[in-house]
Amino acid sequence: MIRHHLAAALAGAALLSAGLAAAAVPPGVNDCLECHGDKSIEKTLPGGGTLSLYVDLQAYRRSVHGNSGCATCHVDAKAPHEKLGKVSCGRCHADAAKSYAGSSHGKLRAKGVTDVPGCDGCHGKHDIRKSADPASRTFRLNIAATCLRCHKDRAIEQKYNLPDQKVMIAYEQSVHGMASRKAGLTGSAVCSDCHGNHGILPGDDPKSATFRQNIPTLCGKCHSGILEKYERSVHGKGMRAGIAESPVCTDCHGEHTISKVSDPNSPVSARNIPKTCTGCHDKEAISSRYALPKKRFSSYMDSFHGIAVEYGMTKAANCSSCHGVHDILPSSDPASSVNKANLPRTCGKCHPKAGPNFAKGSVHVEVTAAKALGVFAIRMFYIIFISALVVLFVLHVGLELYGRWREKKEGASGGKGGAQ
Amino acid sequence: MSRADLAAGKVIRMSLRFRLQHFLLMMLLLVLAVTGFALMYHDNALAQAIIRIEGGVQNRGVVHRIAAVLLLANLVYHIFYMLFSREGKAEFRELLVTRRDVDDFLQALRYNLGTEKEYPRFGKYGYREKFQYWGATVGILLIGFTGFMLWAETFSMRFFPKFILDLALIIHGYQGLLGFVLLFLWHLYNVHLHPSVFPMNPAWLTGKVSTEWLRREHPLEYEKLKGEGLL
Repeated sequence: MIRHHLAAALAGAALLSAGLAAAAVPPGVNDCLECHGDKSIEKTLPGGGTLSLYVDLQAYRRSVHGNSGCATCHVDAKAPHEKLGKVSCGRCHADAAKSYAGSSHGKLRAKGVTDVPGCDGCHGKHDIRKSADPASRTFRLNIAATCLRCHKDRAIEQKYNLPDQKVMIAYEQSVHGMASRKAGLTGSAVCSDCHGNHGILPGDDPKSATFRQNIPTLCGKCHSGILEKYERSVHGKGMRAGIAESPVCTDCHGEHTISKVSDPNSPVSARNIPKTCTGCHDKEAISSRYALPKKRFSSYMDSFHGIAVEYGMTKAANCSSCHGVHDILPSSDPASSVNKANLPRTCGKCHPKAGPNFAKGSVHVEVTAAKALGVFAIRMFYIIFISALVVLFVLHVGLELYGRWREKKEGASGGKGGAQ
Repeated sequence: MSRADLAAGKVIRMSLRFRLQHFLLMMLLLVLAVTGFALMYHDNALAQAIIRIEGGVQNRGVVHRIAAVLLLANLVYHIFYMLFSREGKAEFRELLVTRRDVDDFLQALRYNLGTEKEYPRFGKYGYREKFQYWGATVGILLIGFTGFMLWAETFSMRFFPKFILDLALIIHGYQGLLGFVLLFLWHLYNVHLHPSVFPMNPAWLTGKVSTEWLRREHPLEYEKLKGEGLL
């Protein structure tokens, strides 16, 4: 410590002698580095810890601000100086500061909470680089790591009631996470693509990009071809009409966990899609409210297609094979792949030369008298017939045993044998 | 009938050809039942285990179809043999259902209830055997026809609408169940548990039964053989 005070005193003396006349001229980088170039310079914090005051000149020179002087940001800097005022990035970056002020981070910060990130929390301090620079904290491939520094921290999650860290880490294993982490694709979605950067807001805020009603537009930023199809689908139209149950992208694909269709764990994989679709389509409330057909899961799972898919024969038809994916339309729509008129063509994707007979009868067979009388009646006939047969067999066996038993008894008592 | 057989008091009831057909039929029906019911009751944990053992739903289907084709071959051979061979034609005549079988059945009921003194006198095949034979034949034809319809579903639907295939599917499954009940409750009782044969009628393995058994259970056949000087 003594050495620091000495150094500070010397610097102060040098400055003083350099000219009271030039007192208005802010100190140059070299002036500041007289003290801040010393790796051991630190100050004692009120809590008892220490804060390094060292500035790495090399890192600073390589930073985006490396050609401006210290006083550009530290406007009240003199040499020597006591505690300086806060740096205001907004003096130059007014737009960013404005949107930051409206964000979740900014609002808390304004209330004096210090463990939410300010500008430096994400961008760094003296070593700020352009986000296009691969060494930057805000370079696309580094963003997840930057956000996860706090969002993987259990203490912070609990304090602010944030989603579990598993949700956050799931991103790294997702199709987006893997594309950026493993393949280094800069086109893949990183945190800020969906959540925004300076103006980040929680998903339940209608202004947030990740608010449910905004999700299709958000995903459509990159997946624009799919958005176009979705907008024309029954789900897309329903969503735009304000029907809350109408699914948006994340309802089927997940959010941080989004994975490829070919991934068996994906909710939209051939194996899982029946469960995913019937998550809504087997709900009594939804089926009743929108007059949709019921028993979609059991009627599919009991079909050849359903059984085959359940046992891993994924080339068998699943929901989307017939109904479509993003472009699903109700069967009443003449353009729908499951409209009666189009069924032969739809079935023909797998059953070559499928003819009009494919459309005569229901695909989801519900075995009730009202829905499939023939199947219901035949099943009922067999159940009654087999039951009756079992009863008659048992009766016959019983009678025969009784007859033989009597025959034996009479035979033993000198009676005539029966079966000759 | 060889001299040795006669000396041992044995008489041939099933020739080697019939024993082979019967054995093949038994094995194939077992395979078809195991693979078929696993699919029909696919919600059941045991069925799921069986499907896994069979190498998944696709292999299950392959095994089921191979067995079905072999069964069909067995059936075609049987039909030709029954219609055109000397031995088969004789058997076929014995198996034809007549008015007499109904009378025999009613008489057996009365006898067992104690209201009739005489038990019916059967030929080579009584009403129990004939019911078994024709029940199995009708069942196999029905199950076979619906099975091939479902196998070649696209071809079938050139002639039948989808809902007919739904019917074929339900008939195929429940006819299988019916056949299973017939085999286990009726056939296995008759050839294993019936008091006259317990624990087993050996004809399906050795082809032979005792002359004494034939005399008691199938007196008309016994007398016929005797009349022909074969006993």
